[in-house]
Amino acid sequence: MKSEQDGAAGTAPVRDLSYELLGIQIENPFILAAGPSTDDIDMVRRAFSMGWAGAVLKTTSVEGTRVDLAYPMISSFNHDGKLLFGMGNIDLISAHHIDRVEATVRTLKTEFPGKLVAASIMAGKKDDWQSLVGRLENAGADLIECSFSCPQGNIGEDPGKMLAQSVAATELTARWVKEAARRIPVSIKITPQVTDIVDVARAVQRSGADALTASNSVQALMGIDIYSFVPNPPLAGKSTYSGLTGPAIKPMTLRTIAEIARHVTIPVLGTGGASSWRDAVEFMSVGARCVQFCTLVMHHGFRVIDDLRSGLSNYMDDMGFSSPLDIVGRALPHLAVHDNLPRRVVRSVIDESRCIGCEVCYVACRDGGHAAIDRRESRIPLVNPERCVGCGLCPLVCPEACISLAEA
Amino acid sequence: MQREERTPPDKTAPGVFDDRRAQVEAERCLYCFDAPCTSACPVHIDIPAFIAMLRSGNAPGAAWLVRNANALADTCGRICPSEVYCQPACTRGKQDAPVRIRELHLYATRSERAREFHPGTSPPTGKSVAVLGAGPAGLGCAFELAKFGHHVDLYNDGPPGGVPLKSIPPFRLPEEDLVHDTGMLGRFFTAHDGTIDAPVFGGITRNHDALFIAVGLGRDRSLGIPGEEMESVFPVLEFLETAKKRPHTLRIGSRVIVVGGGNVSLDAAATARRLGAAEVTLLYRRGEQQMLVWSAEIREARRLGVEFRFHAKPFEIVGRGRVESVKCRTMRPGGENDDSGRPVPVEVPGADFFLPADSVIVAIGQDVSADWLTGLSRTKKGFISVDGKFQSSMAGVFAGGDAVSGEGTVVRSLAHGKQAARAIHEYIMRKG
Ligand SMILES: Cc1cc2nc3c(=O)[nH]c(=O)nc-3n(C[C@H](O)[C@H](O)[C@H](O)COP(=O)(O)OP(=O)(O)OC[C@H]3O[C@@H](n4cnc5c(N)ncnc54)[C@H](O)[C@@H]3O)c2cc1C
Ligand SMILES: Cc1cc2nc3c(=O)[nH]c(=O)nc-3n(C[C@H](O)[C@H](O)[C@H](O)COP(=O)(O)O)c2cc1C
Ligand code: SF4
Ligand code: SF4
Ligand code: SF4
Repeated sequence: MKSEQDGAAGTAPVRDLSYELLGIQIENPFILAAGPSTDDIDMVRRAFSMGWAGAVLKTTSVEGTRVDLAYPMISSFNHDGKLLFGMGNIDLISAHHIDRVEATVRTLKTEFPGKLVAASIMAGKKDDWQSLVGRLENAGADLIECSFSCPQGNIGEDPGKMLAQSVAATELTARWVKEAARRIPVSIKITPQVTDIVDVARAVQRSGADALTASNSVQALMGIDIYSFVPNPPLAGKSTYSGLTGPAIKPMTLRTIAEIARHVTIPVLGTGGASSWRDAVEFMSVGARCVQFCTLVMHHGFRVIDDLRSGLSNYMDDMGFSSPLDIVGRALPHLAVHDNLPRRVVRSVIDESRCIGCEVCYVACRDGGHAAIDRRESRIPLVNPERCVGCGLCPLVCPEACISLAEA
Repeated sequence: MQREERTPPDKTAPGVFDDRRAQVEAERCLYCFDAPCTSACPVHIDIPAFIAMLRSGNAPGAAWLVRNANALADTCGRICPSEVYCQPACTRGKQDAPVRIRELHLYATRSERAREFHPGTSPPTGKSVAVLGAGPAGLGCAFELAKFGHHVDLYNDGPPGGVPLKSIPPFRLPEEDLVHDTGMLGRFFTAHDGTIDAPVFGGITRNHDALFIAVGLGRDRSLGIPGEEMESVFPVLEFLETAKKRPHTLRIGSRVIVVGGGNVSLDAAATARRLGAAEVTLLYRRGEQQMLVWSAEIREARRLGVEFRFHAKPFEIVGRGRVESVKCRTMRPGGENDDSGRPVPVEVPGADFFLPADSVIVAIGQDVSADWLTGLSRTKKGFISVDGKFQSSMAGVFAGGDAVSGEGTVVRSLAHGKQAARAIHEYIMRKG
């Protein structure tokens, strides 16, 4: 059914958001991440015509790779009434034959020469990695992304473990891929679940690869049905660990990107938990050069691109930025180790004119802070400056955002 | 909404959400696909999209979407009847209560007031269209035609705004909101101030590729009973217009009777109370259930102490020069239904009564007043006949708004204008 509303309302005007990423001109920083939304050519076509700047096609591998999907494969981490605050999946790579993926790349590049079409690959043996690169490069892919981080484990030698969890294997495999890619850049998609992300990032840089995609889903156990004790997603009494994505992982991704950007010079392609243009700005401010989206689109559809573009456009106007690249890295100088943080004395202040008297701040401070908020008959609480240390808890719980911290 | 605002919203305006209220309300939206609210809004504002933009902190984007779809966005943000269109259709209402869409879009456009608005406009086509009447229908049409790249000449007697400017009481529609809307629209047309009559109309017809007639309803219906010619008997539009422009010249006395059971009567009754009348009685020949009114208006009238006399109609106004009393007849619902599906009221013999009064306001409906508009077919009620594309019986002459379908709403008139603009565009581009 075609909606009468499709396209009827028009889209808010958007300034020029184009720039160069790894030598490729892109229309805007918003790229579809490898996932269900990029596994079908018609879906990608629709996304492109709606304004997405590019897509990483769902990961493919060599002929004969077994893709034995188990359903249901998606489950949700709901928090406080918010559906899909985190999404878990036990998906595998694309079930399509490599021939079809190759044809998809070719067709998309013909129909949409201005869009970034990236192919994602995963393999075991050196020959396989290299033949995949060769075929997809010849088909016209603009970029090769290598999944070293599928939460359902690696194909090949060390099943159950992610390639990017071994520094040595990461460097070696990335080298093979880079060797095979003669004309186009290569990005290595890594997992945040390692002891030291900087070691992995440095290994990728040493391999000669052009970029890092950071970071993939986080291996997680999505929840347990407490009456049957079967974890989510339930598959006839059994379950397994999922890859957690969506808003729940955003702060982890931010830290991962920041750590990488502080220690290596190759660009980072951001992914993992972005769900608005604001999140995208945050990702870029800690070093990402573009932002990939998967869960947001799975939840709300390609239509979210209108707000992503218009929101970023208005933000850039407000900030006086001329290119999305102006955002990249802006937050990094503000990061310091704890020892070097400024020490100053702050106290919380309640704007009584706006307080609605819920006393949520009172109980939070009494039982989780410093018992520095006193109750009053009026139910408008009073901060006791003698006891308040300025920990910053009460402003965070106030539903009216009427508590602030002020220099004492 | 968490961003430091560069263009601070006007937080002082009464009836406008503050940031927090808007945030909380926006979060209630389910972001429906092919949303029923958008289908129900006559101008099809993409409601879930603009609410999602508010949620993401993209108020400029939200305001743009609303304004591009609704040429009188702030006006509708104030007086669009929330029980009629988008809100009863809202899916969220099936869970608890509908999202307060009208207030959210008022918040969006008002908080972005300082920002210029640029719709996407096509390059000039060299065609020119005359729009007759600068009420909601005419303005909606002119805006849309300008976006197609056509030149628009807008003819109106006085500043643009139609009924909302002239008659809708300021306590419901702050004038600044309407004036802000019309001000934004000013650069999309060339305004011609003056009354249209037969010669003027002839000239306009000759000089344009197409016409859109949106003259609304200008003539108050009269009761046709003895005593109606007295000085303190007011046709409602005249009364409301004077109350807005020169309230001190109105002498209504302390006991006022308003005849009629529509929104316009309620506005008149509320206005009379605000002008200082001690007793205001609304006389209606049917029952409360049959009133075609919005509950917010009836609540407001009750709050102001307006008395209601249902199942009664006046049959004579008594007085010497000025009104002294009104002779009323009791009515009851008859067995038959009329066109509107409501029982026809019938007279109850032997139950007449007197109501003392100093003035009477007659609010029993309005008709099209354009006598110069000859040669166009009319409906049996005297409205201009149009087809599904707002084309009248004369080629190239289109019409919309209250002049084609009787007393309606601002947003419905805007929608007529918008749809007609598309039809006009197709017509003149086809004509070549
Ligand atoms: C008291 C009152 C309260 C209302 N309250 C609401 C409300 O709360 N919400 C809502 O949605 N709707 C409300 N309405 C209805 C709404 O105002 C109308 O449906 C709407 O204004 C009709 O728009 P229009 O463009 O068709 O006509 P109009 O608004 O009547 O505009 C017609 C324009 O044409 C001009 N014109 C007419 N003849 C000539 C001529 N010969 N020469 C030059 N110019 C001419 C008029 O001056 C006017 O500017 C109310 C109406 C009234 C009367
Ligand atoms: C159902 C599902 C399937 C996915 N499949 C792939 C895949 O085939 N290859 C890959 O590199 N990443 C895959 N991902 C990871 C996404 O590309 C993305 O990096 C991750 O979801 C985090 O971003 P998000 O929070 O925007 O969803 C998948 C994610 C989901 C939810
Ligand atoms: S949490 Fe906020 S609103 Fe509630 S009592 Fe405290 S200050 Fe007032
Ligand atoms: S214009 Fe009226 S119907 Fe449309 S969204 Fe606004 S309040 Fe709803
Ligand atoms: S119908 Fe209600 S809940 Fe659904 S999109 Fe519209 S406003 Fe939101």
